Amino acid sequence: MRKTLLALTLGLVTSTAFAAGEHGGSHAPAGNAEIDRTIQLEAGDMWFDAESLDVAPGATIRFEITNTGNLAHEFVIGDAEAQAAHREMMQQMSGSHGHEGHGGHDMAEGKHGGQMPAVTLAPGERAELVWTAPENVDSLEYACNIPGHYESGMSGNIDLQG
Amino acid sequence: MPGSGVIHHPLTRRQILKGGAALGLGSAAALGVGPSWADPWGRSSVYAQGAEEGPEVALAIRQETLPIDGRSARPMTINGTSPGPLIRLREGQEAVLKVTNLLEEPTSIHWHGLILPPGMDGVPGVSFAGIAPGETFTYRFPVRQNGTYWYHSHSGLQEQLGHAGPLIIDAAKREPFRYDREHVLLLTDWTFEDPMTVFRNLKTAEGYYNDQERTVADFFADVREQGFAATAEMRSMWAKMRMSSRDIADVTGSTYSYLLNGHAPEENWTALFKAGERIRLRVINGSAMSYFDVRIPGLKMTVVAADGQPVQPVPVDEFRIAVAETYDVLVAPEDDTAYTIFAETMDRSGYARATLAPREGMSAPLPERRTIADRGMEAMGAHAMPGMDHGAMAGMEDSGAEGMAGMDHGAMAGMGDAGPQGMAGMDHGAMAGTGTAGAQGMPSMDHGTMAGMAGERRRLGANGLLAAGTAQPGSRYGQAGIGITPGERRTLVYGDLKAFTPWPDRREPERELELHLTGNMERYIWSFDGKTFSEMTGPLHFRHGERLRLVLVNDTMMEHPIHLHGMWMELENGHGALIPRKHTLNVKPGERVSALITADAEGSWAFHCHLLYHMKAGMFRVVQVS
Repeated sequence: MRKTLLALTLGLVTSTAFAAGEHGGSHAPAGNAEIDRTIQLEAGDMWFDAESLDVAPGATIRFEITNTGNLAHEFVIGDAEAQAAHREMMQQMSGSHGHEGHGGHDMAEGKHGGQMPAVTLAPGERAELVWTAPENVDSLEYACNIPGHYESGMSGNIDLQG
Repeated sequence: MPGSGVIHHPLTRRQILKGGAALGLGSAAALGVGPSWADPWGRSSVYAQGAEEGPEVALAIRQETLPIDGRSARPMTINGTSPGPLIRLREGQEAVLKVTNLLEEPTSIHWHGLILPPGMDGVPGVSFAGIAPGETFTYRFPVRQNGTYWYHSHSGLQEQLGHAGPLIIDAAKREPFRYDREHVLLLTDWTFEDPMTVFRNLKTAEGYYNDQERTVADFFADVREQGFAATAEMRSMWAKMRMSSRDIADVTGSTYSYLLNGHAPEENWTALFKAGERIRLRVINGSAMSYFDVRIPGLKMTVVAADGQPVQPVPVDEFRIAVAETYDVLVAPEDDTAYTIFAETMDRSGYARATLAPREGMSAPLPERRTIADRGMEAMGAHAMPGMDHGAMAGMEDSGAEGMAGMDHGAMAGMGDAGPQGMAGMDHGAMAGTGTAGAQGMPSMDHGTMAGMAGERRRLGANGLLAAGTAQPGSRYGQAGIGITPGERRTLVYGDLKAFTPWPDRREPERELELHLTGNMERYIWSFDGKTFSEMTGPLHFRHGERLRLVLVNDTMMEHPIHLHGMWMELENGHGALIPRKHTLNVKPGERVSALITADAEGSWAFHCHLLYHMKAGMFRVVQVS
């Protein structure tokens, strides 16, 4: 429960960050009450069962994500640029440790710098992420940025055009 | 460009069509314009389309006149093309592959990397008698795997004549990656010389194709960089060993045209895509003798399968593909622009090239070619020892490659406590005193591995063997090999390869079988444990059902791609239960590589170096599982 709340807070803060420009971005700090929609997602090796999502701008979504694969996966929401930057960072982390003994697991545990709403799931794990969709962005991506996972197809588009 | 320069040969064509009709073969591919599978649009929506061919396929083998690299050539063809057609099967099918020999000599087809009954493996003298001229042999086997493989003749030197092609097996279940389009990239090396002439040249004149020998200009360049004394000393050392530091490949671009999907670089074979698509490239090294370094400047490649088996994805800029290996990579070009697919040979004497583009007729700049590397002392085992007294190496002068066979690797295992620091501080003079082991063995050691050796020793099983999956001391899985500058770009190494799921047989190895890869460069004799195939009186024996560790120790100064038929080799690259399965293992000079094998395939199987002329020269054994 505590984990959920933490994720909730993180999600709210960062989603406003994406609503760049003139948007003042003060979303109502929601309690558990204001979930508009629940989306269940399965993360496998190497896919999300949904290849895209349509989300209403401003809607507060509870994602329920289950990792049914053999590897760790993450679920991160952000724009394509931020996802790419995150991916680059994670790959550099893997590179600097040499080739032995540093698989995806270690990196998945690493910090995302709090920049994007994200959860990391060990194989078999289930987690929730609450996130409020920004109002002035047309589309975002959800992705797993553990090296090679995005490239293998672990991403999808979030269409926010309502 | 594909299809340009078509030479019309009415007689040949008629023969093809006649033969095709008689055999009920498709003749679409018989126009001599290159393999029909090398469609510029590749294959899209693969899951929807299903298999194009199989489970029943008829193949006719001929030798005919076709243009290669703009010249008239006499390749061996399969259904009218060289390289042959793509054979597409589906996991779970019962394959029926009818091969008709329309040559004037016996032939065969081996399905490289497929797990099948021994009688269907296609090695004359081992699995069957071969296919006599005019005969048809029907291969029947259940398809129990999926992925990217290939097929080729296992008779004499026919493979060098383009008697090879891709073999793709579509998966029964969802694969661990997603893509919009796929292209097959088959790399081959073509020579206009008769393959027997090439072999004779190698036998009679060492370095016959080696026109990148060090020159006087190189000498002065080295003097500038290293000083006169060091340069002279190095030269004299190589001379004493009767070896060339630039002997990277036995057969080079001086005779070879390097082909991609049958096309020379100037023909610019083009693979088409639409911007935003994710593309699977199935890369197969079907060449006789050439290793390639493959990259696509501007695109990251994510390696998703090795030797047909899925691996945890590894994003890279470049990968080295040994002869007979296959790698599947994903690329995602976002821009509406052309990219060069560049496959530079390991010895830098040439390259194969194609273009990945949104439209026909486009090209991108060719990257700057790298110059040939010198085999450092690493090849003999002496790398990373700049302070080494070369005088101490003098003891090697008569030993050459053979002497290295005497290296005592067992003794090396005992060095665990020294650790990397100990090594650095080692008295190199003292090393000379270790006789045969000495300088050679050490250097090839992966220092990373060594640091962990004290720990590894505790992991020895009851039978005193290293725990399953552990990297052998002396392996260099963190290195791509000669000619690759570490850190220049992210290059795939064997240490990156990691399976998704553990192999079902989790038993520890019951025994170790150690084989040395040996050779005599000057006489062009290649062998296992110093004995050529013709000197052997019996097969290697695997007890049916046993779990064994095969240890390959490369005592030569060349890379060897070692291929076992009939059973997977699980490359012990340190990933424990997730070590990858391979059908071909590249063993670098001076390296010690190990693989676990479950000997579950009763019968006789070929085991050999996949460099065609090395196999011909004796680097071949029969493995009997009983």
